[in-house]
Amino acid sequence: MAIPVLFGVMLVGFLLMQVVPNDPALVRAGPSATPDVVAALRADMGLDKPLYTQFGLYLWRLLHGDLGVSIINNVPVLQELGNTVGPTLELMFASLIWSIPIGIALGTVGAYRRGRLVDRLITAFAVAGGSIPVFFLGLVLIWYVGFKLQLLPFTGRGGPLWTEEGLTAIILPALTLGGTFIGPVARMTRTAVLDVLGVEHVRTARAKGLGEFRVVTRHALRNAMIPVVTLIGLQIGFLLGGAVVTETVFSWPGVGRLAVGAILSADFPMAQGTIIVLSLGFILINLVVDVLYAALDPRMRA
Amino acid sequence: MSATVENPVLPAAAEAAPPKRPNTLARLLREPAAAFALVLVVLVIGAALLAPVLSPTDPFDNDLSLAMQPPGSPGLWLGADSQGRNMVTRVLYGLRITLLMGLASVALGGGIGALIGFAAAFYRRIDGLLMRLMDIMLSFPAILFGLALAAIFGPGIQAVVLALSVATIPLMARIVRGSALAVMGLDYIEAARATGMSDTRIILRHVAPNCLSSIFVFATLRFGQVILLGSALSFLGLGAQPPTAELGAMASDGRNFLFFAPHIAVIPCIAIFAVVLAFNVLGDALRDALDPRLRT
Repeated sequence: MAIPVLFGVMLVGFLLMQVVPNDPALVRAGPSATPDVVAALRADMGLDKPLYTQFGLYLWRLLHGDLGVSIINNVPVLQELGNTVGPTLELMFASLIWSIPIGIALGTVGAYRRGRLVDRLITAFAVAGGSIPVFFLGLVLIWYVGFKLQLLPFTGRGGPLWTEEGLTAIILPALTLGGTFIGPVARMTRTAVLDVLGVEHVRTARAKGLGEFRVVTRHALRNAMIPVVTLIGLQIGFLLGGAVVTETVFSWPGVGRLAVGAILSADFPMAQGTIIVLSLGFILINLVVDVLYAALDPRMRA
Repeated sequence: MSATVENPVLPAAAEAAPPKRPNTLARLLREPAAAFALVLVVLVIGAALLAPVLSPTDPFDNDLSLAMQPPGSPGLWLGADSQGRNMVTRVLYGLRITLLMGLASVALGGGIGALIGFAAAFYRRIDGLLMRLMDIMLSFPAILFGLALAAIFGPGIQAVVLALSVATIPLMARIVRGSALAVMGLDYIEAARATGMSDTRIILRHVAPNCLSSIFVFATLRFGQVILLGSALSFLGLGAQPPTAELGAMASDGRNFLFFAPHIAVIPCIAIFAVVLAFNVLGDALRDALDPRLRT
């Protein structure tokens, strides 16, 4: 599955470079270059070869980590990506670490109290949470917590997470991105737990006199985790979209913000590099989810 | 009873649905949240359709002396934006563009997806190939389609609609294939085949009408998601370009004046939230009403 997807990503990246309005050789040669020099550069860059040869060349360079240089500031794309991947991962981690447990807890309580007021409130909260634009949440937090109350910083990354500046700077972005994730997680957990609560081994656990908390956490939730993990994995694309927006709103120096900036300034090599990296990240996360899935469900290990 | 269905002279597909409708609607309206969502959806669509009539001003009329006037100022119920344009007008026209963007994406992507789904269910030989293709498309999140297409075609509404349509195709294909397969196993399809009906006719007359409710439920839910994604892309500057009144782009403009005039960003955000919420609640309620088996 991952192989054709990877190939597709690279093909899209290649096509992106084909539609560049200006000739890459011309750009690299500079405005004062003679036609001879440009022609030589074209040959050197392989631009005079047929498309499929160019695609091969492109793949070759890609596999060797050569993503070209930015049109805007001549910085190698790979270097810029190296600087931004970390902050993006940091932001995603900080968002998931609090939102997934809360989402799972809310979903479990909702399922356990099915149909009661608590359940209705949680469901309403989850639906509303899944309908709120990420930038809305971000802007409200910036305006209220950052500007009105002056409690927390809201632009950029303060530094490494273990410093106070780093930690305070990530709170609002992580609240924003995580905040939109609680709803979907809670809904999926609720459905999964509901399915499991009626199952026989849960009834047995009750019958042998186990406490309700133990029944729910040990016997119901544990089995419900399998579909929950899969569904959370499927939502990672949603999270990625949220990350791109959150980074832009909070000027967080991640890949998403880099991608948006590159596209808006028509920096094609940079745009291509960011899209390839975001896709790769997405594919990797899906692989991780598959592994987790196997860890939770021994039947999948065969 | 069954004789009317078997009679090929009767336009069975067209007349099978209406008798069910009051029932569905009644079931839908019993749930207060769903009734509220339905009213909201009707209001929002009405407001968008009637924008030219309801708007007090032209959407591009600006009066810089009114710039950033807060809501409640004389003649400016929702205030004015950074260019001094009336926010009531901007939101009405913004709803128009945003809803059209959602409609175009769901119709285009959903239409193609439904065709693929029917084809996969009906022609089992190409089923595997089609569905693998859908799996590959499904493994790209919509935001990446959005970024890539905006990079290729340049930012704009077209890029956003294309991206959201492409992202909708595999989802709709899966839903339609699933519900079509369930119908295909039934005896009356076998009977239709035995009478020598053409494939197209069987699909249109006997399979499609039975898949309509799942298509409808999915389209409603998808509409909310598509608007959320589309307005996010516009917010990033990759979709509708200023001075177009589009809710995401308006929020993006308001972001620059957040500390002096928060209403410029907040009002379009609330509008997006309300639309998405209404479609989500309505979609959930429709699913419960049309397919009680899925009720949780």
